[in-house]
Amino acid sequence: MGTEKSFCPSDEEIEKWMSSAFDMARDALQNGEVPVGCLLVYNHEVVGRGRNEVNETKNATRHAEMVALDQLQDWCRRSNLDVSGVCERTALYVTVEPCIMCAAALRLFKLPVVVFGCRNDRFGGCGSVLDISSAVLPQTGNTFKCVSGHRAEEAVDMLKTFYKQENPNAPKPKTRKE
Amino acid sequence: MEPQRKRWKGSTYGSECGSDSWTVYPVLSDEQSQDVELVEAFAAPVVNKKETSRLLRELSSLYPMSGLQHIKRVRAVKGSPQPLEVLLCLVSDAPHMEILSIDSLLPSGVKNDAFGEPFRVKIPARPPLTRPQFEQAGKHWPTSFHEDKQLTVALRGELFSAPQKARMHAYMMSAVTAAKAGSELGMEAVGAVVVDPSTEKVIAVGHDSRGDHPLHHAVMVCIDLVARSQGSGCYSFDQYATCTFTPPASDTSQSAPSSLPYICTGYDLYVTREPCVMCAMALVHSRIGRVFYGTACADGALGSKYKIHSQKDLNHHFEVYRGVLEKQCEDLTSQEGFQRRVDY
Ligand SMILES: [Zn+2]
Ligand SMILES: [Zn+2]
Repeated sequence: MGTEKSFCPSDEEIEKWMSSAFDMARDALQNGEVPVGCLLVYNHEVVGRGRNEVNETKNATRHAEMVALDQLQDWCRRSNLDVSGVCERTALYVTVEPCIMCAAALRLFKLPVVVFGCRNDRFGGCGSVLDISSAVLPQTGNTFKCVSGHRAEEAVDMLKTFYKQENPNAPKPKTRKE
Repeated sequence: MEPQRKRWKGSTYGSECGSDSWTVYPVLSDEQSQDVELVEAFAAPVVNKKETSRLLRELSSLYPMSGLQHIKRVRAVKGSPQPLEVLLCLVSDAPHMEILSIDSLLPSGVKNDAFGEPFRVKIPARPPLTRPQFEQAGKHWPTSFHEDKQLTVALRGELFSAPQKARMHAYMMSAVTAAKAGSELGMEAVGAVVVDPSTEKVIAVGHDSRGDHPLHHAVMVCIDLVARSQGSGCYSFDQYATCTFTPPASDTSQSAPSSLPYICTGYDLYVTREPCVMCAMALVHSRIGRVFYGTACADGALGSKYKIHSQKDLNHHFEVYRGVLEKQCEDLTSQEGFQRRVDY
């Protein structure tokens, strides 16, 4: 138990993987998508990578984290590894604080640590609206540790730019254009 | 405030399976369901009843008691030689006094001998939002009350008519059936049904399938099935005979497909057990209309642990009712507990 609890990525790892997450977010923004980048890293390997897929699936729960968790499951299946064994030593890197739903999903997957950039004032589940990451919820998986604030301003700026585009008064670009 | 739960094992089966065997109650926000908050004030009897309105005018200019517009400044005291008592001021607004006296409370402008001996009272700090709060508040000091009649009826468990209850019964019954089907496959015994109340059409039926995927709770399954009913979605639950959706082609009433993912707008969800945090927030993201659940659970996020449906700061709120087919839904959970004990 003790070793799992103390599992936490080093500063160099945080620097490296958050930089990838930011690249993903910037890429999403340039394509008119929600600028959130998200990676699941196990044993120095990316095992899940997600971007928001809400519009194309019409499923409002397809946030980047949920997509990445599905990929992690597929990766485990392909690698013939036990999902919970992998999750115990997997970190999530995401540019924006996971929402309440995703925070609960991360608990259910028993991920020990989440590194995020900026707060999510609208839906944040790691302290901004509710703190699901550390709440006492015995039937909802495990609590997880949060490392926050990495390049926060940059993440906020991308969100601001995106929501400015989404302004209902502005002419709306097609979400799925080439 | 929790209504007493009946558990009569020996009661006749017939009375337990009709829609009169359960009562549905709204799950209110904390503001609506909490005990009345009180604040301390000074009051005093009025010596001469005829002077009351003049005294009130003078008092309200001296101590306006702003923010407490719901408080009635005068109350009638039955069987007292001085049948009216007035609120002078909040304790926090009163000047500093060594001994409580009318002279120190009313330094100028108001005729002191118009009042009897002042005393401390606790008065409701906020306007009552529900009839139970109004009644509780009134035990301390009278308040005004802008009654939401529908809410009062709902709190008595009488909001829905017999035909409405019969429909709710049928919807929850198919959620129970789905839960049992899932349970037979080794999943948790939780089922859910999404209904369009405007057409009374069932859009999706789903059950828990977390044996395959830790996030496939019944509600999450249903949300994706609703997306599939609109020609989209991202999973296939075709291997589960009881997980179904109304295919888009057969739905002629459907208007032009919307580009927005708020697919549950205006829909009702029936779920046997109170949703967890993930599912409750998924319902916010999907803009569900109303949620009805059978039985509460410890980690539940629509009443027990959180009230996500009335959470401040979130951009969508919805009504939640509990108690539909409560006994049958509760039995699903307790049978499951029994099975687990046998398994291990
Ligand atoms: Zn999320
Ligand atoms: Zn759930």
